[in-house]
Amino acid sequence: MRPVTKLAAAVTATAALVLTTAACGESSTESGSDKGVGLAFDVGGRDDHSFNESAARGVDKAKEELGVDAKMMTAKNNETEADREQRLTSLANAGYNPVIGVGFSYGKSIAKVAKKFPDTTFGVVDSVAEGKNVDSMLFSEHEGSYLAGVAAAMKTKTDSVGFIGGVDNALIQKFEAGFVQGVKDTNSKIKVRSEYLYPNNDKGFNDPAAAKEKAQGWLDDDVDVIYTAAGQSGAGSIEAIGAKKGTWAIGVDSDQYQQPGLAKYKDSILTSVVKNVDIAVFDLVKSVQDEKPITGEQRYTLKEDGVSLSESGGFLKDIQKDLDKVAKDIADGKVKVSERPSR
Amino acid sequence: MNAVRRVNREKLLLQLGAPLLAILAALVITSVILATTGGDPFRAYSVMIEFGFKSDSQIWIINKAIPYFLAAVAVAVGFRMKLFNIGVDGQYRLAAFCAAALGGAVAFPSFIQIPLMILTAMFVGAIWSGIAGLLKATRGVSEVVSTIMLNFIAASLIGYLIQENRLGVVEGNLTHTENIPESGHFFEISTGQEPIGGFVIVAVLVGVVYWLVLNRSRFGFDLRAVGGSHSAAEASGVNVKRMVVSSMLLSGLFAGLVGMPTLLGESHNYGTDFPEGIGFTGIAIALLGRNHPVGMALAALLWGFLERTGTQLEFEGYSQEIIGVMQGVIVFCVVIAYEVVRRYGLKLQQRKVGEELAAEARAKSSNEAGASA
Amino acid sequence: MVANHDIDITVRRGTVHALVGENGAGKSTLMKILYGMQKPDEGTITLDGEQVSLSSPADAISRGIGMVHQHFMLADNLTVLENVVLGAEKLHGIGGGARRKILEISQAYHLNVRPDVLVEELGVADRQRVEILKVLYRGARTLILDEPTAVLVPQEVDALFDNLRELKAEGLTVIFISHKLGEVLSVADDITVIRRGTTVASVHPSETSPKQLAELMVGSELPTPETRESTVTDTAMLRVVDLNLSATDSDGVCRTVLDGIGFTIHKGEVLGVAGVEGNGQAELVEAIMGIRDPDGGEIVLDTDDISHAPTRTRRESGIGYIPEDRHRHALLLESPLWENRMLGHVTEKPNSGRFLLNLKGARQDTERIVREYDVRTPGIEVTAASLSGGNQQKLIVGREMSHRPKLLIAAHPTRGVDVGAQAQIWDQIREARREGLAVLLISADLDELIGLSDTLRVMYRGRLVADADPATITPEELGSAMTGAASGHLEHHPESPESVQDDEHVQDDEHVQGNEAPEDGESR
Repeated sequence: MRPVTKLAAAVTATAALVLTTAACGESSTESGSDKGVGLAFDVGGRDDHSFNESAARGVDKAKEELGVDAKMMTAKNNETEADREQRLTSLANAGYNPVIGVGFSYGKSIAKVAKKFPDTTFGVVDSVAEGKNVDSMLFSEHEGSYLAGVAAAMKTKTDSVGFIGGVDNALIQKFEAGFVQGVKDTNSKIKVRSEYLYPNNDKGFNDPAAAKEKAQGWLDDDVDVIYTAAGQSGAGSIEAIGAKKGTWAIGVDSDQYQQPGLAKYKDSILTSVVKNVDIAVFDLVKSVQDEKPITGEQRYTLKEDGVSLSESGGFLKDIQKDLDKVAKDIADGKVKVSERPSR
Repeated sequence: MNAVRRVNREKLLLQLGAPLLAILAALVITSVILATTGGDPFRAYSVMIEFGFKSDSQIWIINKAIPYFLAAVAVAVGFRMKLFNIGVDGQYRLAAFCAAALGGAVAFPSFIQIPLMILTAMFVGAIWSGIAGLLKATRGVSEVVSTIMLNFIAASLIGYLIQENRLGVVEGNLTHTENIPESGHFFEISTGQEPIGGFVIVAVLVGVVYWLVLNRSRFGFDLRAVGGSHSAAEASGVNVKRMVVSSMLLSGLFAGLVGMPTLLGESHNYGTDFPEGIGFTGIAIALLGRNHPVGMALAALLWGFLERTGTQLEFEGYSQEIIGVMQGVIVFCVVIAYEVVRRYGLKLQQRKVGEELAAEARAKSSNEAGASA
Repeated sequence: MVANHDIDITVRRGTVHALVGENGAGKSTLMKILYGMQKPDEGTITLDGEQVSLSSPADAISRGIGMVHQHFMLADNLTVLENVVLGAEKLHGIGGGARRKILEISQAYHLNVRPDVLVEELGVADRQRVEILKVLYRGARTLILDEPTAVLVPQEVDALFDNLRELKAEGLTVIFISHKLGEVLSVADDITVIRRGTTVASVHPSETSPKQLAELMVGSELPTPETRESTVTDTAMLRVVDLNLSATDSDGVCRTVLDGIGFTIHKGEVLGVAGVEGNGQAELVEAIMGIRDPDGGEIVLDTDDISHAPTRTRRESGIGYIPEDRHRHALLLESPLWENRMLGHVTEKPNSGRFLLNLKGARQDTERIVREYDVRTPGIEVTAASLSGGNQQKLIVGREMSHRPKLLIAAHPTRGVDVGAQAQIWDQIREARREGLAVLLISADLDELIGLSDTLRVMYRGRLVADADPATITPEELGSAMTGAASGHLEHHPESPESVQDDEHVQDDEHVQGNEAPEDGESR
């Protein structure tokens, strides 16, 4: 054997040895005590101006009102199940309770980790995860989007509106379905475009440049109201819309008019379809504090104020009455909003 | 003979020196970054080491490193002949997708089901990379450009096919292919805690095959000759164009395996949440591991280690980006260090040769002088 | 630096000082030191009585030392003027001032440089003059010329020497590196011989002969050669019939590069092809090696038609190949010697079995080649790049000969190779020829061609335009055919009627006949 090969063999052997001996050693899985809320964000992080931020607001409220501590961690692009499981495990391990995964990509990992920590309550936003100790928080985005569609139809001057989705999945399709139905029910002559940034890559929630490009293209083509449901990417399209007078952006998840990061463009933000993740998160934290943890599927609909249209900026004043009526119709079940787009 | 051994030892030292130098430099740079952003670098390292060497971390790291290593091997095949297969990412995804679709559609006993899926994946990976190889050989299209394009095409193709009513099944917010029957699940090595994926054995085999083919076969020699000098290889009788196609095919065969540990051992279907980007990680690992199977294995483990401990660092209050920075800095340092060491080594060797000859000459002339005296 | 030790050299102002030595003897290193590219470990350099230390080429230039490299450092797509002022814009600007200065220098030394011509349109000799002018433009008083005649035909060499004499007459100093001893004797005022990093002698041209010089360089008496005897047989080994090849050049224009080439090489015959570089010799070699696929015609090796066979098949069926550019075509520079030993013969014993390599066999055989072909190296694990040119070439020759070829294609086999190695390579070719090897020899070294060949052909613009008998032809006659001035069968004219000749040739003829021809008795 030549020395090079010899050395390679030696290194491998040593590495293997270190591994096996250490494997008998301690494991990192050791429980700590009750520490407060563990919040695991989806890509984009706390300041995504969107539903991560909304969730964080719920935690902030809990901190203030219930005096609990909190730990927040963020996902990276191109994560795998293993990464998500590790994040949730770390939080549960350290004694955080409840542990909440923000975003549907935590669905599988929450279910898996929840099994290992039966005494901890887990929460997952936008997904249904199995487990006795899991609270699955679902929102009726389609209903909120329907209202946005009505508002868009009433505000457009060019009779051309658009929807940009971050990733073409069932969740975002709910936004599209509601929006398109809302527009068409109000004025069937209006042309609605809907497109997605990525077919199946979560990067769609974290790629403002792509959203900006798409919005710009539509603006040049006389689309004057654009509804973007794409997490942090939404900032990109709002930026493009803000640069063109007389066009409107519809935000999503949080009241984007209020967000400092978008203050420059706030006069172009017609309204936002607010997903009150904060309410759901706060509810869960409170229930855990009260030792009556919420578990199972929880639906936050328009009726329960789980979703709503934001009013800041006052751009909706002139049509508020019509919107209220539509909202009531939905709440009363007079209007049925579809969850799947009819393509 | 002595000289030979000395040259060899030197070569070895140089080979080891580069990555060590690089990692050291990377440590210094990250320490500075950590310190300037207000963190304590030493505490960070101690957290990393303590957490990273815990037993469950080790298992996690090994499982994480398996696909990385496979991707690195796929990339390295190209690197050995100075071919940049940037498309491993698209290759393994399309390969895993096709294997998953097929595996979900049929149910054979394990000894047919598993090889069938693995071979399908390798075949698809090879086809996808082979397109780039053919384009390069026949039309002179740069493989960098074509493989990047093929990545996009693969992603779009999967996005199209995975829709409901085509090959996809909707489950909650995810869409995925039909689940693979039990017989298509790969074995696991139980450890008392989380199991280690059985694919680790396949990975080791791949490493051995890679080494044998590249370093010990005639084909491998031809491939390396093309990498060393296009023109010399051509003059020596290597059909360079055919070699471009075959090495891309080989690279694609390996790339096809990258998604298999996840597919056969974990997800059992190809869904919208199937891991992406491993092909690019593979490039970094092949660079770091110097295209050597052992080097790449160590590099893959290092990568897994960094990712494992990165989450922990965030937990400890450091910003999670620091690991990304560290990874980037390591690759950067490695590339520089290798080049520096390579040049130094070459110079050193030339000097050695000169010295040796001069000494020989002196000896001879003094002998002559002695004889004439 | 141990490449050189104890170098003593004194160059008088206003002289041409020749530096001769084998390749790897340390000439290049010495030049690098003088030009500031490398620092000496010890010792001093004194310039005009003042001790200087040169730490960079810029330093050297500012002290009036200029270098004309063996490989020209000119930008093809710039004009002569632009090339000259490049990097020296501060001297005379880039416009009229520079042009005036260039013309002034050009006239003073009869360089005949046209400032506004693109460099890519210039021939080799013109480019060399541009390089010289470049150096003079920067104010050099001492010029170092590294192997300046390697790329020139005899007529051009004479012109260059005229230029050098002009420079000398103006009080400039020229250091001239060469291993063509005849040239050295004709142009130099002083000669320093370097061997293995040491100056072994300083001689005056009038007091020495090429044979003595060669022996000083090699350090021992040169072997006495065998008498010339024809080994040519009647059996054809390589038959090339009406070979045609066209290629697209860089401008996208399709040109005919080989036009109806036909010849036969018999067993035991060396066929020499003379020609100015770029007239299709490289393409001819590549067509026979299978690197280029001919448009028409036939190539028959022994009895097999190999016109369109792959290169590897041709190699396996017995073609050995010593390419013109060994760095590009014959070596993996960053691989160890034993891997280089496999290159081109990886499918043959002792390098491999059916599929796997036989590293042990290859290593052992490399050791043998190193021993038998006198490749000077500390071991077979060093990279090919760390050997000197001559030793690289010996390795290549050893490798090709180890597979007992039927046909050897040798393109410039001794270019850039020192005298000792040159003699060895010639011997090897000759010996193999005696055993029935057929050789296609391409060379720019006309002495080599004449000395080694049994049959001579001249290639001009893709055609074989003339043939000659090496026993009677002179380099000058061959040279003029190479420029297209003569065709058909070249007869030797003792009176040399061609106008290009001048009285310098009396001297040249002498050393050609007496000393340089490898085949010739006296010199070797």
